Amino acid sequence: MSQRVTRRSVLGQIGAAVAGVVSAAAAKTAKAAVQRVFVSSGAPKGYDPTQHKWLMCIDANKCIGCGLCAEACKRENHVPQGPFYRTWIERYIIPKPKPGSGDTRGEVQVDSPEGGMHGFPEPPMPKDEIEQSFFVPKLCNLCHHSPCTQVCPVGATFDAPDGVVLIDPKYCIGCGFCIQACPYGCRFLSPVTKTAEKCTLCYHRITRGLKPACVEVCPTQARIFGDALHPVPDDPVQDFVRRNQIFTLKPQLGTEPRVLYANIDKEVR
Amino acid sequence: MGTFRMPPQIVRLVLLTIAIVGSYIVARYFLTPASFGQYGWYRGDALSELASHDPVFAGKKACEECHSDEFKKLAQGDHKGLSCEACHGPGQAHADNPDVKISISNFSPCVRCHEFNPSRPKWHHQINSKTHYSTGEKCTECHVPHNPQEVP
Repeated sequence: MSQRVTRRSVLGQIGAAVAGVVSAAAAKTAKAAVQRVFVSSGAPKGYDPTQHKWLMCIDANKCIGCGLCAEACKRENHVPQGPFYRTWIERYIIPKPKPGSGDTRGEVQVDSPEGGMHGFPEPPMPKDEIEQSFFVPKLCNLCHHSPCTQVCPVGATFDAPDGVVLIDPKYCIGCGFCIQACPYGCRFLSPVTKTAEKCTLCYHRITRGLKPACVEVCPTQARIFGDALHPVPDDPVQDFVRRNQIFTLKPQLGTEPRVLYANIDKEVR
Repeated sequence: MGTFRMPPQIVRLVLLTIAIVGSYIVARYFLTPASFGQYGWYRGDALSELASHDPVFAGKKACEECHSDEFKKLAQGDHKGLSCEACHGPGQAHADNPDVKISISNFSPCVRCHEFNPSRPKWHHQINSKTHYSTGEKCTECHVPHNPQEVP
């Protein structure tokens, strides 16, 4: 069987090629138009997330439980009113053992009235019955292997290249899997947006060169914030890591948090 | 032996499969954001969208630009580690427009940090406000908040 090159076949092939190019261009234009409507963003550029690795350090011995951090977080991030906190303070009270019980210490009590936002009232027991008491600030632990990211069914929560675990509010369907998955209880379902919310490490601040709001207002530098890739001279994070014995919360889970604690009791979880 | 002919129900099934998979590919082409996969299995633009919120707290540097006198005074005393906005409240609106004053209701009172609480660390200066100064006058009668060592 022989195939003859005719005028008709050549013209047909040229026509098909032109139609292909035109339709590809049209598809691109149509795609851009569709995305302008559905997936547009007028967001600012100029911050390269691959050039940073953010860290948070917390010295529990410096925390005085004033609650300025929790209050500032609510204001800075417009966190809904009610029991919703992106960062909060817990008070641990370890009572003296009951006489004759043979224990070395009583049962640990943990409380966090309004996330510690307005400070803490007097402890629920007389001062001389307390063996030990201290405050522990809590926030998203910035896990290297974050369970919340692994369970998200729609790819709405993710580990950003700069180490912050973030939620894409346009993708979140509010299923709440991540809230159950977080071993540190750092997420909640916003009653306003009906999507999951969490500490973003004040992403809008750190991308502008500011400190997170909680770090900014902490009066005792119990919270230290820094960049592991770009240590500044006398870097507070490097100093903190060198001078203290470092703990992370629930290390047995293998989440490898990037929130580092110092001077916390073994009761803290 | 006759020529093999594809059974018509198989042809219909194949066409239907192509139509379903094809429409999925077309929809995916049009609806996947351009930035999806930029950094990983998520929408890269989400990062800059989250970064586009406006701050409420201005930061200590912004305060120093106008209030350098108070800033120097603060740096000399025990309150040198404090941020201005820790006590005075959020100030971005004031930094953007100095005519917008920071409300006094945002001010955190001294006892917020210095009231005695047995849970507070021992190194921290604490008082019992009921017995510390019995006439119940203002702290600033005896203390200068910007420099606690100074006597007014």
